[in-house]
This record gives sequence, structure tokens and C-alpha cells, in this order.
Amino acid sequence: MINMKIDLEHISRLANLELTEEEKKILPGQIEKIIGWVGQLASLKTDEEEKYTPIDFSLRLDEDEIEKSLSQEEVLAMAPEKDGDFLKVPKVLQGK
Amino acid sequence: MKLIEFGLVEILSLVRKGEVRVVEIVEDYIARIEQEDQKIKAYLTYAFDKALARAREIDSKKEKGKLAGAIIAIKDNIVTKGIRTTCASRILENFIPPYNATVIDRLEAEDAIIIGKTNLDEFAMGSSTENSAFFPTRNPWDTERVPGGSSGGSAAAVAALEAVAALGSDTGGSVRQPAAFCGVVGLKPTYGRVSRYGLIAYASSLDQIGPLARSVEDCALVTSVIAGFDRKDSTSSPLPVPDYLAELKTSLPKIRVGALEESSLNGVSQEVASNYRAILRLLEELGIEIQRMTFPSWEYALPCYYVIAPSEASSNLARYDGVRYGFRAESRELSEMYLKTRTQGFGSEVKRRILLGTFALSSGYYEAYYARAAKARQVITREFAAAFDRVDFILTPTTPEPAFKLGEKQDPISMYLQDYFTVAANLAGIPGISIPSGFTADGLPLGVQLLGRAFSESELFRLAFLLEKNINLKNNKSEI
Repeated sequence: MINMKIDLEHISRLANLELTEEEKKILPGQIEKIIGWVGQLASLKTDEEEKYTPIDFSLRLDEDEIEKSLSQEEVLAMAPEKDGDFLKVPKVLQGK
Repeated sequence: MKLIEFGLVEILSLVRKGEVRVVEIVEDYIARIEQEDQKIKAYLTYAFDKALARAREIDSKKEKGKLAGAIIAIKDNIVTKGIRTTCASRILENFIPPYNATVIDRLEAEDAIIIGKTNLDEFAMGSSTENSAFFPTRNPWDTERVPGGSSGGSAAAVAALEAVAALGSDTGGSVRQPAAFCGVVGLKPTYGRVSRYGLIAYASSLDQIGPLARSVEDCALVTSVIAGFDRKDSTSSPLPVPDYLAELKTSLPKIRVGALEESSLNGVSQEVASNYRAILRLLEELGIEIQRMTFPSWEYALPCYYVIAPSEASSNLARYDGVRYGFRAESRELSEMYLKTRTQGFGSEVKRRILLGTFALSSGYYEAYYARAAKARQVITREFAAAFDRVDFILTPTTPEPAFKLGEKQDPISMYLQDYFTVAANLAGIPGISIPSGFTADGLPLGVQLLGRAFSESELFRLAFLLEKNINLKNNKSEI
């Protein structure tokens, strides 16, 4: 198993996640252990190998038929906050 | 005999003959759930009122669909119009979808009734249903033990007679492992066989929806209804769907079954290994040729999966940002809202996998992790192709051990090892079915898995059906 130090702070920033105090205690160790464990892939000879691609279905063109999709009301009904016909979010720019 | 005790094929025939009304069946299941589910906790949401209303409609119809009388439970990562769909996550706790998944439309078009939404590991990430943000589900055979996962609620509901059949989803073993733990039949169809439109995405190159049922016949019938091309899922296959139930009656041609070498059973519990040997002997007695095989690349299947699946999850779960649907955390500005929403909305296992995937895809590590795993996946797929040149099916235990106790597996990797036998089929896109194969001395169910070539579901069902008829299960009703 390869022991690797991971910059979890950087990774969580990329993933838009923060860790709780409890998670800060256990997650870094666990994640390093898991990354060490998946590191055994390095011992499988794959240099000559192609990357896997899921089953190849031939491309198909849809008929240009008009179908009903979800209405604006239905979509907006799911939103945590809305304003008229718009989704509402907190202000985008930081500062006052 | 109570109506809940009839299997799917039997109860449908009673409805067809006019001997039972659908509303009576629904009422019996509701009574059963009200009596048992406080203990089992298979369901996150009940849909009793809708189910009763629908039953009355179906009873008044002259021409009924082929699933009239089927009372079905749905894993709560499959969207149901007007019925809360949570994925067992705080982030979707109050989410009511405005549309149905294709599989739901197909079931309802044949007059099946949705009785409720079942518990799972949050976002289908886990093997015990303990990762649900709400509560764990219990195994009906021993309520101190887990039902498996991630489709644990669906498997427990079927085993506890709280539904006649259920839908689950299988990304690394999430239908087959709980099926084995709960003593029911579970199929992971070929990648592309069943539309995933409306299945909340976890790892899109691996996810498949599959049925859980009390028998191979019931499982075959549900599969033939939900399978088939769907223009809303670009990965769904245009191949025609056979009538799997009718084809069960046709005999299998001369077949060969691949079996694991003894050395491959080193890591499994003694009772699982001896049950596996017994099933192999049974196959031989049935005149089926057995060929011993090794699968050296399987050692790499789980590490491969734990790069691919988290990578895809980190991308798929980026959509939960508190803007369009789901939970939103109170914040003064937008970027803080994203961060707080995701931090408070996701549980630890989900965070663990998002972080793992983000790492594997991040600059400087992509080649060493993601690219290498994608190549390992190709090696695994080719190894299957070579095996299927020599044999028609492969038989393995479904799980390395029977159902474990709640709280027993604290280390993530020991939980991940649950999927040792199941995960390779997801990586290669081939179908696999788990059927009950016996019991431990303590009375816990055991299962074996049959794997076949892509789109060989019909043959897979026929061999499973043959085995099911010949496996002697002494006490095949859980006493609850």
C-alpha cells in the first residue's frame, strides 16, 4: 500500500464541501487509506491497454416531433426560493 | 392463505380470473406494512392513499394490464411523480418529483401499483442501508442484522411480505447483495437493457435498475415489463425484449458453467464456501458441464470500481447546489450557500466518495488514478469475454459472508469488500442474478450469483429457474 499525503483542504474546496469537526478527525485518514488501497491498480499491467468505453450503440437521430415537457410552474415548484418566474438565490457578489 | 403470501405470477392469475379484487390485495399489504414495518423499517414513504385510489380504478377496468394486482415497492432513488423521492439524503428530504422515471410509467401502464418508496444507503452508496440519512433498515430474518445494500429497503420489503416485488438499482452489487442477504431473487440487467431515465444518477457508466422478487418467474415477468428502448435514455439498447416469463418454459440448450477454483474461495466464510460447493454438485447432478476457471483481474475490480464510481459521483452530485431543487442552507451570499448546502445536505459516505472522485480527477492525478482504472476496466471486460468463449455462465457466491450485524463494519474498506463477487459485472456491463441457495446454521439466507453474456437475460433466467426448482430450501419464509 502506498502511503500518500493528500491535500484534503484543496480537494474539498474543488468539491464545494466543508468537513464537520467530527469528519475532520476521521475522513482524512480514511481517504488516504482508500487511495493507498486503490493504488494497487499500479501493479496491473495496463500500458498497452485502451481505456474502457461503455457499449457502443450506433448513433440514432430522433424524429423532430414536438412533445410536451415540464411546465414552468412545475419546475419552479421544486425551487427552494423563487421570485415570480425566476429562481431566487442569495446575492452573488461578496461584500456590502 | 393470505393474499400477501401469493407470489406475483399467482396473484395476477387470481385477479385475472376475477377471484380477488385489486383493492383487497392493497388492503392486505397495507395491513401487513402497518404491522411489520415499525420493526423492519423498509420504507421511507408510504403511498397508501394513491395505491387504494389506483386499485379502485383498476378494479373497474374491463381490460386490465398484465400486472393488475402487483403491489410493488420502489427504491427511493427512482423518481415518482407526486411521491416524495429522497435518495435517503437530507439534500432531497422534501423533494417531490414532477415526473415519473420510465420504469414507473411502464409498471403503471400495466396496472402495477406503487405501495411506497424504500430505504437505501444515501445516494445508493453502501452495502448495508446503514448510510441512510434517516434510519437503518433491519433484515427480516434477524433484525439485529443488516438487509444489505444499497437496495436494502427493497430486499427487506420483499422478504418481509411487505411487497410482492420491488425495484432496486445496482451500481456495484446493490440489487444482488441485499437479495442474497434477505433470501430473495435479484437481477442486475445488462447495461442498456433497462432505461435509467428518472434514476437519480450515482455512477452513470455502471448504474442499472433491476427487480427483486420472491421467485425467478416473478423476477422475469417484472423485467420484461421494465426493459426496452427509451429515447429518453441514450444508453438504452434498441434490442427487442423477449417475453422472459414465457421463455422460462423453453429448455436450455447444452450449456457449460464456469466455476471458481477452490483458491478463489479463500476469503469467503466457510458456510458460504460449502454452500457454493453444494450448488456446483447440484449442477453436475443436473448434467451440466462445469469448468473451473480463475479470474486474475478480479483482484483489481474493487480498486477499479472505487476510482471510477466516486469519479462519476463527484461529477453527478455537483448538481446539488441548493438552487433549483432540494435542500438549501440559509446563507447571505451565493458561494457560501453552495458550500453550506452541500456540507449540511450530504452524509459522510457521500462526502467521502465525492472527495475521492474529486481527487482522482484532479490535475496531476488523473492519469495515475482515473485513466489507469479505465484501462483496468478494459482488462476485466476482456477477461470476461475470454471466459465466455469457453463457458455460457459463471457461478459465484453472491457475497463473501451472510448478513452481518448493524454497526459491525466500521472501516469503509471492509464494507467495500462486500461487493467482491458482484462488482466485476457492473464494470463489464454484463447481467447477473442472485438466487437463494440455502441457509447458514443460524438460519440466515445465502445466495449464489449467475453471470452471463451481455443481453443473455433469457438464458440466465432459465438456468436460475432450473436451479431454483432443484435447490431444497427447507424453511423459506422468514418468521417475523
